[in-house]
Amino acid sequence: MRAIVARSLGLAWVVPALALVGVFVYLPLVQNFGFSTLEWDIYSGSQEYIGFDNYAKLLDDPVFWSSLGNNLLYAVISIAFQVFGALLLAALIESIRGEGWRRSLRVIYFIPSAISLTVAGLLFYFLYEPNLGPINHLLEAAGLGQFAAAWLGQEGTAMPAIIAMSQWQGFGYSTLLFAVAIQRIPSEIYGAAAIDGVGPVGRFVHVTVPLVREMTGLMAIVTVSGSFQVFNEVMVMTGGGPNNSTQVLGTWLYRSGFVRNDFGYAAAIATVLFVITLGVAMAQLWVTRRRRVEW
Amino acid sequence: MRSRALTTFAALAGTSVLALAGCGGGTASAPAADIAAQPEFSGTLSILTKFAGEPLDPYFENLAAEYRKAHPEVRIELIQETDQSIKDKLKTLTASNALPDIYFTWTGNWAENYVRGGRAADLSKVIGPDTEWGRTFGKASLDAFSFDGKYYGIPLYNNGKFMGYNKAAFAKAGVKVPATFDELVRSCPTLREAGYEPIAFGNKDGWPALHYLQQLFAYNVPATTLRADFDPATAKLDDPGYLTALKQFKTVVTECTDTGTGTNGVLYTSAQEAFSSGKAAMYYQEILEFDNATAGKGLTPENFGIFPLPVPAAAAGDPKALEGSPEGYLVNAKSPRAALAIDFMKFATNAENAKTLSAPPYGQPSTVVGAVTPETSSKAVYEGIELVNKASNLAIWLDTVTVPEVADAWLAGGEALITGGMTPEKVLESVRRASASAK
Repeated sequence: MRAIVARSLGLAWVVPALALVGVFVYLPLVQNFGFSTLEWDIYSGSQEYIGFDNYAKLLDDPVFWSSLGNNLLYAVISIAFQVFGALLLAALIESIRGEGWRRSLRVIYFIPSAISLTVAGLLFYFLYEPNLGPINHLLEAAGLGQFAAAWLGQEGTAMPAIIAMSQWQGFGYSTLLFAVAIQRIPSEIYGAAAIDGVGPVGRFVHVTVPLVREMTGLMAIVTVSGSFQVFNEVMVMTGGGPNNSTQVLGTWLYRSGFVRNDFGYAAAIATVLFVITLGVAMAQLWVTRRRRVEW
Repeated sequence: MRSRALTTFAALAGTSVLALAGCGGGTASAPAADIAAQPEFSGTLSILTKFAGEPLDPYFENLAAEYRKAHPEVRIELIQETDQSIKDKLKTLTASNALPDIYFTWTGNWAENYVRGGRAADLSKVIGPDTEWGRTFGKASLDAFSFDGKYYGIPLYNNGKFMGYNKAAFAKAGVKVPATFDELVRSCPTLREAGYEPIAFGNKDGWPALHYLQQLFAYNVPATTLRADFDPATAKLDDPGYLTALKQFKTVVTECTDTGTGTNGVLYTSAQEAFSSGKAAMYYQEILEFDNATAGKGLTPENFGIFPLPVPAAAAGDPKALEGSPEGYLVNAKSPRAALAIDFMKFATNAENAKTLSAPPYGQPSTVVGAVTPETSSKAVYEGIELVNKASNLAIWLDTVTVPEVADAWLAGGEALITGGMTPEKVLESVRRASASAK
């Protein structure tokens, strides 16, 4: 009897949090799915049920596919830089003997991550500006004027320019996490490998990489998931242009709803985005469970 | 267990859809606001303006303070947004049935959506051209907010698009004000040799290109064809004038801007700054920007001149058409304070306040007859308004005159034309597709 009372009291403590999460997280998810099956005229308020027509429309929308492609490109480049690049850099930093140098380098690499994405986007907008931006001026000063470009103004360079900014911003954070993971590896393992004649590269490949695989898996999934939630940097730097060349799913969702007044279609894009990120999150849970490293 | 979870999810989703469907109906069936009633001078009047930021935001703040001196029981809640942010704000408030009592609008399809949806009160009884208040406005500005013979909008200020030029730069280069489109293009190398960027142009947001395009469409495409093409139900978009206009726009970008194919990477305000600092000889701008262009140290009001974008030879459209339209305010059809809203807007558009609005630092040429004079406004604003009044036809902004899907296709097409990503033919084809899809 006392156990039942205790359990009920416990539940009572949890109910407010559950209610908040239900109302502000799960209810909007369900509502969004509902919206995606409607043709909604926000002006008259009329909402017509159209089933899965908005999802069929996605298949014929070239901007939806190019947006999805941009998200994938984002993910691939982010994996290369923010997972493998960051791991390599973390290993290099942690191999430095002086503690002072190690600390300084960690701080230096981490600083960009402390800047908000919107501010970083604005900063890079001015760096890339074709007339006043220092990047073009530096190229000209170095005799490489032929490579100067309107980085954010051309279909071919705009998306890579945004992704480059994003790597700069997120690289240090990943490096710091990998550094923490490397610090957890017992030094005896490195010592034993050294006694066996394994060089620094070998120690990285045969000791560091396997023993940080839990963090590598986690970072890969977080990075991919983040790549599908990109919004701020694109909105600030190009707004999805020129000619929709930098649209990602998040910005195309926004544009479909708030510019083109097609809120049902925007909800369908949001549902696709949710399914993708949910899939990545499930993979994250599965990978972290399987790849746990214990010693 | 899994099947039970799925059943629960499906039930929730179904309930949600039904609940949403139940919310339908909106305001179209709402009782009409009694705009002609005697206002009750109490309560809170909410107003959404497009006057955020310097130098405009004090205008409504001062108006509200003055109005409250006469009616201390009235509280005024001002929501001030910028030209860009007001678009999202209005749509969010519309979708959530939370529009304020008075809210900003553009003309064309933008205002029509609010009228069609029953969100805007019919103001014909108080602002129709034959009413006392209506007679204080220019008729064309009232007509801009008229749909099916009814008047919905309170026009606050007029606007038009002109090429602003630096007289000193023209004199230094020995260039005269161009009379034709060809002369404009031919003047560009001469201005460049004299050390100026011929035309400053920033198209990061996409719509500045639409302003060039709409003026060129008005010149090259007959007005009746244009009107039919703005409505997807009647659009054909097969007039050869469209291609001519797209090619002319590309010529201006290529020959007259220093950024050329990279113009999409330049902010509109950076281009404005290049002109007002004296680095660029010309800049295509709205009347609303005139006083701002000469507010800095580079370009003096004496050196600032304007001319309409020159007409191309043998253009098949209307050579006297000018791009521009008034901007104004709608009254929420569901507002319980509609009569008070009307009283406030009558106060906002009285002769004295109209002159204040037209004068520097605001420089927003009021639609009230007699408010814009050489004494009340800067020389350029006065000259611009005179030209707007003389125009045979006002071409409404391309991004508000047609449905958003088509406007968005023009916007992407304009950007692609600048970069060379699409030919004029491809741009027109993409707009035709968008128009067909929006039918």
